[in-house]
Amino acid sequence: MTALRRALQLRSARISLGLLVLVLLVGIFGGWLAPQDPLAQNTAAILQGPGSGQWLGTDYLGRDVLSRLIDGTGRSVFGALEAVGVAMLLGIPAGLASVVFGRVFEWVTLRFVDSLMTLPFIIFAVAVAGILGNGPNQAMLTIGVLLSALFYRITRAATLGLTSAQYVEMAELLGASKNWVIRVHVWNKVLPTIAVTTANCLAAALLAVSSLTFLGIGVQPPVSTWGGMLASDLNFLSQRPWAPVIPSLMIILTVAACNALADAIRDTTGVSPTARTGITGPAAGAGSAQGIGPAQGIGPAQAGPAQGASAR
Amino acid sequence: MSRALLEVKDLRVSVGAGTGSRPGEGGIEAVHGVSFSVGRGETVGLVGESGSGKTLACRSILGVLAPGCRIDSGAISFDGSDLLGLDRQGWDGVRGTRVAGVFQDPASYLDPSLTVGHQLSEQLRVKLGRGRREAHAEAVDLFAAMGLHRPDRVYHQYPHELSGGMVQRVLIAMAVSCDPELLIADEATTALDVTIQAEVLELLKKLQAERGLSILAVSHDLATIAELCDRVLVFYAGELVEAGTTEQVLQAPSHPYTEALLRVASVGNWERRELEVIPGNPPPVGTQHLGCGFADRCAFAVDRCRDRSIELIERAGRSVRCVRADDVALSGVRLIA
Amino acid sequence: MVALLEPAVPLAGPAEAVARPVALQWAVRFGTGLGRALAIVVPVGLVSTFVTFALGSFSNSNPAAAVLGDLATPADIARMNHQFGLDQPLLVQYWQWITAALHGDLGTSWFTTIPVADSIKQTLPVDLSLTALAMLIALLLGGAAGIAAALRPGSRFDRAVTALCAIASTVPAFVIGIGLIIVFSVLLPVLPSGGYVPFTENPVQWLRFLILPALALSLDLTADIARQLRNSLVGTLRENFVTGAEVRGLSRRRVVFRHALRNAAGPTLTVLGVRVPQLIGGAVITETLFNLPGMSKLTLDAAAQQDIPVIQGTLLVAITIVLLANVLVNGMLVRLRPQARRRSG
Repeated sequence: MTALRRALQLRSARISLGLLVLVLLVGIFGGWLAPQDPLAQNTAAILQGPGSGQWLGTDYLGRDVLSRLIDGTGRSVFGALEAVGVAMLLGIPAGLASVVFGRVFEWVTLRFVDSLMTLPFIIFAVAVAGILGNGPNQAMLTIGVLLSALFYRITRAATLGLTSAQYVEMAELLGASKNWVIRVHVWNKVLPTIAVTTANCLAAALLAVSSLTFLGIGVQPPVSTWGGMLASDLNFLSQRPWAPVIPSLMIILTVAACNALADAIRDTTGVSPTARTGITGPAAGAGSAQGIGPAQGIGPAQAGPAQGASAR
Repeated sequence: MSRALLEVKDLRVSVGAGTGSRPGEGGIEAVHGVSFSVGRGETVGLVGESGSGKTLACRSILGVLAPGCRIDSGAISFDGSDLLGLDRQGWDGVRGTRVAGVFQDPASYLDPSLTVGHQLSEQLRVKLGRGRREAHAEAVDLFAAMGLHRPDRVYHQYPHELSGGMVQRVLIAMAVSCDPELLIADEATTALDVTIQAEVLELLKKLQAERGLSILAVSHDLATIAELCDRVLVFYAGELVEAGTTEQVLQAPSHPYTEALLRVASVGNWERRELEVIPGNPPPVGTQHLGCGFADRCAFAVDRCRDRSIELIERAGRSVRCVRADDVALSGVRLIA
Repeated sequence: MVALLEPAVPLAGPAEAVARPVALQWAVRFGTGLGRALAIVVPVGLVSTFVTFALGSFSNSNPAAAVLGDLATPADIARMNHQFGLDQPLLVQYWQWITAALHGDLGTSWFTTIPVADSIKQTLPVDLSLTALAMLIALLLGGAAGIAAALRPGSRFDRAVTALCAIASTVPAFVIGIGLIIVFSVLLPVLPSGGYVPFTENPVQWLRFLILPALALSLDLTADIARQLRNSLVGTLRENFVTGAEVRGLSRRRVVFRHALRNAAGPTLTVLGVRVPQLIGGAVITETLFNLPGMSKLTLDAAAQQDIPVIQGTLLVAITIVLLANVLVNGMLVRLRPQARRRSG
């Protein structure tokens, strides 16, 4: 992964990666790290501020906030990873195939992906949750399917640019098989682009997961998630106005870390996922607080609607 | 003696200065103390290679130097009033109505999202206070006067839809629309086809005759200058090296660089078979050197060309910056009147 | 000395060789542009609406179960399925649904038997109000910031704006919303944290209820607009035609606002066009947070009850808005960049 290695030369990348690794570790080992049982209620000590034994206080059912936070990390993080995984599994092969398999396939998949991108993200996820059942996997699957459109476009654009590149022609002239060319040359150049998109999509997925759990989709209480904690904190703002800060901070920092990593990779490997798909400026950062929002091409002027993990 | 319309005195311009948070720092001098004037109704030509400073001088007169360029010292006055001390509003009062400009690559100087007619109308409405309908009609008339065929159709075209010659006519129309006294034409015909070049030059001459317009024309092409101008100023490496009337300078040049330019250009000698070049390159912008900047490429250079700073000597209405001006016999071209 | 001046002949424009009135030219350009847009939008619309519709068929739910719950007998299920036309082939159902939708009929809720279209008509204005207000804020605030920063590139103000935008893009809207509630409803109880009043009833109250959610919703878009506009404008201000306008003696204000901005606005408009549908689709969170009775809330409730026609209806409306916005943005872009028209052929 030379792309990652090069990116790590930047300090911002090292900090971001460090943070992400930390979050991941907490996610994996959360159950053992939590000082107290995240589900244990103590109605005698509700809505307490920070004190001995509960470093971040207690919530409205007397549960230790810190433990809930640690416990919830895994759910949010792995949910996001699951969504991005699905997206990559669907989008990348489809994108590559659209370049290789001829015009009809290309047109059909393009229009299909356009359609995917017109579906309003969160409402659609809510609808799916309602119809297919309100489990975490269904929600992540939906996010994954909608995110796959982005991977499709990025992969396709990067591959398109390369198959007509001169060194590919040279390699073919020299007798290399098309498969070998794809494997060696195309893949090596496409990979950094995919890396950037993955980082951005992780951020977007995380936001989406938080938004959905905030709405109560994808997980059921009493199990804790970052979004869910925010939702319950809302009801008790007058007693604990500072409560939302902690889960918010977790979300913001993790999202920012993902985006910073994406930027670092982009800056150090010189790939520009924006260049070919006509994505403009910050909208290209598919991990901004809005989520995915690249100007994808529907229509002649190359401006199209793209639905993102809109955390609104 | 009536006051000259435009007076440039000892202008020094540097380029490559800082922009942004520390504007104006640094920079190298590209124009080294140039002085000249343009009288009323006179056409003056600035000749020289790229980088000789002629475009910088013109942009200084119009107040549109690129960011990073800076006027270090000198004075520019128009009709007696100083231009360099003007603020934006002051400039807005002068540009368009008293001094105008046309440039190379004319289409790029027009707003690509508006029709050419709209832009000319805008000029008339904003600068002359015309009403909408009046401005429209006057714009069409102006296009016609510039020789544009079907001016009513041209009105609704966008800049990218017109040919080079047509766009230049549009720009000229806009330049003269408010009846300025001085028109600065910076390589105005350079990128055009030869036949179109000739037509545009004719147009400029016609305008000069009809409106008493003074023209400051910049070109690296001596043929254009010969065609259009009463007086010629030869620029080299940021300095004025020769000045005089067109006949004087072209038929009997005093500076070896001028002679070299004449040899290289196709002015006058239609039987020439070989392509001639001036060997070597001009010194890079801003290099400090003692003596004549042309010495390394000059066939007549001697030691005293390189060991002292050389002044511009004025004599009998002409000026020349060469220590050997009296010694060498230079050949010019014969101009067919 | 030189040949006589010959009048210049204008370039023949595309297909307008003979004298055609200008209005007709314009109509032709507009028509082909619209046709091209529709040719892409229509198939896309069909597919996405079909997906929406087909989603319903995955559900285990049916009208009888929704209303009667466990008490539903197979006979009830069959009867109500027939009543709602659910025993027909999927494509037929889709066709009926979509053609009915074009007439404004979106079916009826399995629960309340209220026509879906009516429910939507009641709730959509809330979404539209919220989105419109958010867009307005984003345009005004983002536009002003972007322009001001572009006019002083490299200055401290410019760098501050860029930094603020970067921060604003990272903070999710619901966090901002919560923050706003904490500040303006809890700490300084100035504004309400929930509820809604239609504009037609009481404009002032309408604004009081909507200002916080609109602000929260708009902040990310504001940052994007500011950043995009600033970058575009800085680039545009360096172009030759700006110099050309200055040389003609046009004032700074006119040059910036009538010429530079027109040309720099393109990418910003694209951003807007992309985000507007996102705003609509994603207003769910904000509406839930601020307790606004909008279409998203309708969908949420319907999802909880598995009320399929309502879900399908709201999705359809959302998709339609997205496609409309897309066509609109494309149209405006083409108008702002006439030179792009040639290439898009």
